Amino acid sequence: MAMRARKKIHAPRRGLMSNNVNTFDEMWDVLASSLREIHTKNASSLSFEELYRKAYRIVLMGKCGDLYEQVKQLEGEWLGQEIQKRITASITSSLLLAKEPVDVKDQSNERRAAGEKFLSVLREAWEDHQLCMGMITDVLMYMDRVVTTEHRKPSIYVATMAIFRDCVIRSNVRSDSDSVVGDVLKDTVLFMIQLERAGHVIERPLIRHCIYMLEGLYETITEEESSKLYLTMFEPAFIETSRSFYRTEGQRILEMADAATFCKIASNRIAEERERCLYTLSTLTESKIKDVLDEELISRHIAEVVNLEGTGVRSMIDNDRVDVLASVYELNSRVDKKKTPLTLAVQKRIVEMGQEINASATSAQSAKPVEKETNGDKKSEKEKEKEKPMNQQTMSAIKWVDDILALKSKFDRIWKESFKQDQGMEGAMMNSFSEFINSNPRSSEYLSLFFDENLKKGIKGKTESEVDSLLDNGITLLRYVKDKDLFETYYKKHLSRRLLMKRSVSMDAERQMISKMKVEVGNQFTQRLESMFRDMTVSDDLTSSYKDHIKKTGDPDQKKVDLEINVLTSTMWPMEIMSNNKDGEVQLPCIFPKEIESTKQSFEQFYLSKHSGRKLSWQASMGTADIRATFQRSNGKVQRHELNVSTYAMVILVLFNDVPAGESLTYEEIQARTRIPNHDLIRNLQSLAVAPKTRVLKKEPMSKDVKPTDKFFFNHDFQSPFMKVRIGVVSGGANKVENQDQRKETEQKMNEERGASIEAAVVRIMKQRKKLVHSQLMNEVLSQLSGRFSPNINMVKKRIESLIDREYLERVAEEPPTYGYIA
Amino acid sequence: MSSTAQTQEYVTLVSGDGFEFVVPRSTACVSGTIRRMLDPSSNFSEAITGRCVLETLSGVVLEKVCEYFCYNQKNKEQANVPDMDIPPELCLELLMAADYLDT
Repeated sequence: MAMRARKKIHAPRRGLMSNNVNTFDEMWDVLASSLREIHTKNASSLSFEELYRKAYRIVLMGKCGDLYEQVKQLEGEWLGQEIQKRITASITSSLLLAKEPVDVKDQSNERRAAGEKFLSVLREAWEDHQLCMGMITDVLMYMDRVVTTEHRKPSIYVATMAIFRDCVIRSNVRSDSDSVVGDVLKDTVLFMIQLERAGHVIERPLIRHCIYMLEGLYETITEEESSKLYLTMFEPAFIETSRSFYRTEGQRILEMADAATFCKIASNRIAEERERCLYTLSTLTESKIKDVLDEELISRHIAEVVNLEGTGVRSMIDNDRVDVLASVYELNSRVDKKKTPLTLAVQKRIVEMGQEINASATSAQSAKPVEKETNGDKKSEKEKEKEKPMNQQTMSAIKWVDDILALKSKFDRIWKESFKQDQGMEGAMMNSFSEFINSNPRSSEYLSLFFDENLKKGIKGKTESEVDSLLDNGITLLRYVKDKDLFETYYKKHLSRRLLMKRSVSMDAERQMISKMKVEVGNQFTQRLESMFRDMTVSDDLTSSYKDHIKKTGDPDQKKVDLEINVLTSTMWPMEIMSNNKDGEVQLPCIFPKEIESTKQSFEQFYLSKHSGRKLSWQASMGTADIRATFQRSNGKVQRHELNVSTYAMVILVLFNDVPAGESLTYEEIQARTRIPNHDLIRNLQSLAVAPKTRVLKKEPMSKDVKPTDKFFFNHDFQSPFMKVRIGVVSGGANKVENQDQRKETEQKMNEERGASIEAAVVRIMKQRKKLVHSQLMNEVLSQLSGRFSPNINMVKKRIESLIDREYLERVAEEPPTYGYIA
Repeated sequence: MSSTAQTQEYVTLVSGDGFEFVVPRSTACVSGTIRRMLDPSSNFSEAITGRCVLETLSGVVLEKVCEYFCYNQKNKEQANVPDMDIPPELCLELLMAADYLDT
């Protein structure tokens, strides 16, 4: 270190400066001519080092500012004279006609050729300028460094770009006109785009390069993103022309074509514009042109397209045009998150189709009463006629459900394939479904019948998964039904028949159904249904344990009657099917034959010994019996048949055991001896003596009606090809659509039940809140009950009144009306 | 010819007093000036021939400059590198060369 310190530090040789002392002007002359050489593409003959050294030296001489200005001036001269001349020369008169609309074909061709020439000249000039300026900037690098840091001026590159803008783009085309080169450029590009929109092929890369140029030039010297010439000069015009183009285009297509074509063209246009932004113009424009399209082409017309007569959404739905619907959805979702017009159209169509289904169901329905009336007073005839329309009605009910399911699956498919499983659409579609389903007052009943039919017959021979999907479909409809309590009532009724008469095909399916409903509607809903099942299993146990009991006690007499018993909890089962005493008169219990009676008593003893304090009431109307009957033919032969009859029919038939052959019993006698209610007796006698295939009894006189004076004989000539004969009770067992009276009755019961649930809800809420304003109470009640049914406001009001009367509630204040809970 | 210039891996740097140094192109391009000089797209004579005559620099200085180029290339993106040995008498001239060469 010390050694080094002693060494003398030479002053640097003044080689850079003093070698050959050149003046600024001398050096600039050399530089200027070299720069011109660069512009004329003769750079290969120049030495970079020499030019650089000259510029370096000028800067060191402190003439940096002068150099900068000189270069600018040189560039200005070059661009303003040479380049501008070249470009204006390429502008032919056909391009200047830009402002006038070009209609004539050959004129447009001419213009197009001229335009392409102009654009390519411009492009060449721009690219040359870019390249040369790149080189010049390199040479003047040292100057740039000083200029930008010390003088705070834009770099020479930026400065010359601005010169290019002013001297080329903004120069007048002709000395006598106002239009500048930039305007011609803009018009030419727009013209090209117009050609492309009309289906011509244009030179995209050429335009793209000119757009690059506009993107590379800025309004200001600071070169902010937003001051690009492209954005200030070209884009607004482009957007404006596009807007007017699509405005007329939209109207044109709408007038000429159908909805499907419109969607296709619109989708194509959207793709086309996107592509144009990618390959011809700038990606900066993409979102803006998209807005223009959305607004002009879609927003403005979508509602019209959707509702287009004959080809709109309606016909698309009808013809399952899933693809077209998808594109409608696509277009609509571009402009509207909620897709209002499409949703409305779909909803409207759903409701329309649903109403058609409703109408066809009710028309089948209304056919019945007319027939009934014309049938006059002949009861037996009416009875027979009734059988048919009833079945038809049931069929129409099931058809109704099937139709709805078909409709549902149709729309599900559309939803999945066209609407991208859109949530909002799903909700709207669900609402529409529930709207028309609930507009059919009998929907609950029909739905329950549908289940009944399927559980009785429909699922025979179907695989588990088929059954599963069938039930699932039904459950989906249940979701739409508002009056779930009404459905429950019907379902209970139908279920009880199925269970007691053993009509159900598969208990597994029944249980599956219940568990599905539980998932769908909730625990409370299925409670009673489940307890019905429980009763059935308990009864099975009871029957078998009773059999064991009989065996143990070993009473030989009892062997004659095999008892199978169902003990039902009376509150859980629909009572109206058990007791038919509509008139309210006290019905004496039926007199059973003594064999049965003793069995009955023995069971009662057995049951009460197990569960004391319970009361058994026997529902003979629900039971069946297998009896073995012997028919003594007149030729002496004996024919045996096993008859499966209702309990009442069994009681009647057993009576004939004591009647000597050839003698008869009158209707009144039978009634007196059995105490079977009139209604049931008539029906049972009808099935025993009137129905042609199961005529075990003969009746005198032979008519279809049963009159109190009729006589009945045991028919020894009863014929049947089968060993076992099932004798159904006329219009008894099967689950059918209710007639008007039954319906009224159900409704009335329903209303009572609803009243009770409303009261319960009111009390529940008030107990918790103690004090509540009327409107709030109403809201809470409605929301609590909406899961089961939609309560009638008046009914709720009445119930509140009644609760006040019964002093559960009190009026606390009048304005606003407020209630208080009385503990 | 320009295509050969582009593929040239080595370039020749010539000092004002006639010394020639052949260095890899990548090391020479540490200098902004030389990089621009050799830029193939600009087509200056240096770019075509791959030979740069740097008249302002003496052989001694250019030697040191080339040494620095290599040193810079070698120790690029490394920490704790040994300092380069700079003779004090060359300091000022090297400083001027650095300014000129934009390194």
